[in-house]
Amino acid sequence: MVDQALLLLRIGVLVLLYLFVWRIARTAIRDVRGSSESMILSPGHGFDPQPASIAPSKPATPGRLVVVESDILPIGAAVVLDQPEVLLGRDPHAAAVLDGDGFVSGRHAMVRLRGGSPTVSDLGSTNGTYVNGGRIAAETPLFEGDEVAVGSTRMIYEPGTTQ
Amino acid sequence: MPDRGFLRLPTRNRELALIALALLIATAGFAAVQLARAQEFASSPLIAAAFFAGAYLIAHLVVRITLPDADPYLLPITAVLTALGLIEIYRIDAKLARDQGLWIVLGLVLFVGVIVAFRDIRRLETLRYTCGAVAVVLLLATIVLGSEVNGARLWIRVAGLQIQPGEFAKILLVIFLAGYLRERREVLAAPARKVLGIGVPALRHSLPLLIIAGASLVLLVAMNDLGSSLLFYVIALAMLYIATGRLLFVGLGAGLFALGATAALQITPRVQTRIDGWLHPWADEQAQCCYQITQSIYTIADGGVLGAGFGRGVILNSGGGTIIPYAQTDFIYSVIANEMGLVGATAVILLYLLLAWRGFRIATTADDGFSKLLAAGLATAVAFQVFVIVGGVIRLLPLTGLTLPFVSYGGSSVTANFAIAGLLLCISQRANRERV
Repeated sequence: MVDQALLLLRIGVLVLLYLFVWRIARTAIRDVRGSSESMILSPGHGFDPQPASIAPSKPATPGRLVVVESDILPIGAAVVLDQPEVLLGRDPHAAAVLDGDGFVSGRHAMVRLRGGSPTVSDLGSTNGTYVNGGRIAAETPLFEGDEVAVGSTRMIYEPGTTQ
Repeated sequence: MPDRGFLRLPTRNRELALIALALLIATAGFAAVQLARAQEFASSPLIAAAFFAGAYLIAHLVVRITLPDADPYLLPITAVLTALGLIEIYRIDAKLARDQGLWIVLGLVLFVGVIVAFRDIRRLETLRYTCGAVAVVLLLATIVLGSEVNGARLWIRVAGLQIQPGEFAKILLVIFLAGYLRERREVLAAPARKVLGIGVPALRHSLPLLIIAGASLVLLVAMNDLGSSLLFYVIALAMLYIATGRLLFVGLGAGLFALGATAALQITPRVQTRIDGWLHPWADEQAQCCYQITQSIYTIADGGVLGAGFGRGVILNSGGGTIIPYAQTDFIYSVIANEMGLVGATAVILLYLLLAWRGFRIATTADDGFSKLLAAGLATAVAFQVFVIVGGVIRLLPLTGLTLPFVSYGGSSVTANFAIAGLLLCISQRANRERV
């Protein structure tokens, strides 16, 4: 009686184990979203925008910084990166005038286009420029989905299209 | 329930359904071990299973609330793995199983802590240097304060508890590397000058990476710990490749490894013993080099295809100790192979394969460099650890003392692995969320 019960439990556990594995493995077939993406962060692996040295082609539509959170700018507003240098700050001549935010310096940060891919650098601002939550010390390249924060304003980088 | 229906379930319900399946496996396993031991059914396995179920259901509810879009497979996979480990530890010693049960609950508490604190994984990126510093402090503390157990200096005693800081240092190191490589990958990938026609990055940028390579060697000599040093080295190398996409680094790393391994062979007698035990285990079965590994091979072979059955394997000697020394930690896989056979042991490998697949999958879908590197690094850490220890106990590789993630007995190992699962879930939440 005990032997039969043990045999049953042993086979039961093995069957359930494979049922479990099968259920998860099956989703591999369905799971097609992003299948062309790579986890390697390198030129030529489909993740980066075009590297500067190879193709200095001008994007057909420029990249943008889309505001996702701000005390002073409307959500969804975008800073269009169509100049070689785009200044962020309270300065009235800045491309993105962030007036009314006490945590933003006059000349706060600069977005530069280096052969189509943008970089951001802090211009010695009091409260710093943040990329993906980290305060930047040097010129930092921006990649799709990166978040740039200046004062209360948080923006997500969307690359343009190259043609 | 037909599979088609299962795939149509909302994400979190799919997770719940899989956890239910894991609980069924746990209950059946506990019942079988108890039945084999006492020759009659008792309620104690059901009570154990109920505690296990309660802990996982609470974790599931927290995930449901905080990370609604996170990967639904990781938590159930850990449930099955911890259940299998707990069943076999219960089989070895009921008292050890009570401890392990407590570690699993503590692990789930840490898991919940991680997903609540780092729901937005980018908060971790700002802590990259803190993490790196704490990892170094932990490892130094182990070297200075550590007590030697079975030849390796891996544990420190805090308030009567033995802690293995290396398990946590490993995670902190991955976080640091993800942040650091995300920041510097451009300068590392772009060669500064050519040496012998090969572009190499400037020394000041690659210095921290050379330090890690050197530190792995120091770990090996100072802690006498083959497993951790190999693991740290491979994690750093894999992440460097993922950050730069340059195979050259892998080649250089492999070369450095060959040099380091040759040096280690001369310096530490432990390495020589392990190599002997790997190549010539039958030369002297009772000798220190070979006893553990030969016992492991006998145990695995004894299991056959379908296994001896729960509670029916030859695991314990007449004195109540395990036949393989350290069966509940490093050699738990041999015990599983004995009682669940080739079929069960293969299922365990498949579970780790699924775990690694989900980890790398999360890395490919993540949309920022830090998350990608972190997910890939953590998945590499778990996958490589499984490869090294399973390879060791089946004599595919020289034996190195590492734990089997989620399965082996041990508080540090279990809780650290739950922290890894928590971090991976946080990354997948950000990758799967509705885009703004």
